[in-house]
Amino acid sequence: MQTSLPSSSSSELKPEMKHNCSHQADCLKMIQLILDGEATEQQLAKLQANLESCKPCIEMYHLEKEVKELLTKRMEKRCCPEQLVATIKSRILSFS
Amino acid sequence: MSDTPTRDEDQLLPDGDPIEQPSEDTPARRYTDEQKYQVFNKEFMPHIDSMYNFAFRLTMDEDDANDLVQDTYLKAFRFISSFEQGTNAKAWLFRILKNSFINDYRKKSKEPAKVDYQDVETTYNSEDAESEHTVDLRAESVSDLIGDEVANALNALPVDFRTVIILCDIEGFTYEEMAKILDIPIGTVRSRLHRARNLLKEKLRDYASSMGYKEENEE
Ligand SMILES: [Zn+2]
Repeated sequence: MQTSLPSSSSSELKPEMKHNCSHQADCLKMIQLILDGEATEQQLAKLQANLESCKPCIEMYHLEKEVKELLTKRMEKRCCPEQLVATIKSRILSFS
Repeated sequence: MSDTPTRDEDQLLPDGDPIEQPSEDTPARRYTDEQKYQVFNKEFMPHIDSMYNFAFRLTMDEDDANDLVQDTYLKAFRFISSFEQGTNAKAWLFRILKNSFINDYRKKSKEPAKVDYQDVETTYNSEDAESEHTVDLRAESVSDLIGDEVANALNALPVDFRTVIILCDIEGFTYEEMAKILDIPIGTVRSRLHRARNLLKEKLRDYASSMGYKEENEE
């Protein structure tokens, strides 16, 4: 079973580290709330604890964070063409 | 209690047929012409890049994005009296754009969004499917993906799922703002976002594995 788990990159695992999370689906939802800034204090504290003791939660947290950062930082932002800005401004001037 | 979550917000336009007439209980603000232009330039125009980006991500087409943004801004100006100065202009504009997209563009778009969406909704709707579903993917596998690959993965999602990800992760709206923009309860925002992310991770996994980062997919 050890083989199915990715080996930890650098830090030594604490002896009480869990390798299976019994609430994985709920933990995932909680992690998303936290990364979205929508979590309660209580949920934050719970995640804090899980990040010390639950390997699947640590991995889910890193993945969700990475995916969110891909979207926020790596995707090209399309800017509005100058021409369109000019068109809109002149169209509304002819309104009144 | 959950039936009309956005009705109390009179600064947001009535939905359905997007803003034909401001409804009678909407207190119309009397702006002078000068004030109208001032509100338009100070509160609406600063969001035009975000609006264009949103329009482009929805339509995936530059001409359609142009038309959609222009229509939205003209509507916003025509119905400016139902916008209350100092309230959330960005959310107000996004809501108009989203409604215009659904009513005017989605119909003629080639994307079979409706079909896709329902398909996916039923696939993921059962509580079981949702709770069992975690995508087998590691952070390191996606960390080398480039912007275009992320964009392609996002574009591959049905439009309703794409929308919540754009609003949340790219534009940074809160769940509450998203609920108003999309006219859905916050609980639906949360669960749709959750499903959207699972789908997105599946797409990202496909990209990552095609780049050879995934270990065991041979044979
Ligand atoms: Zn856990």
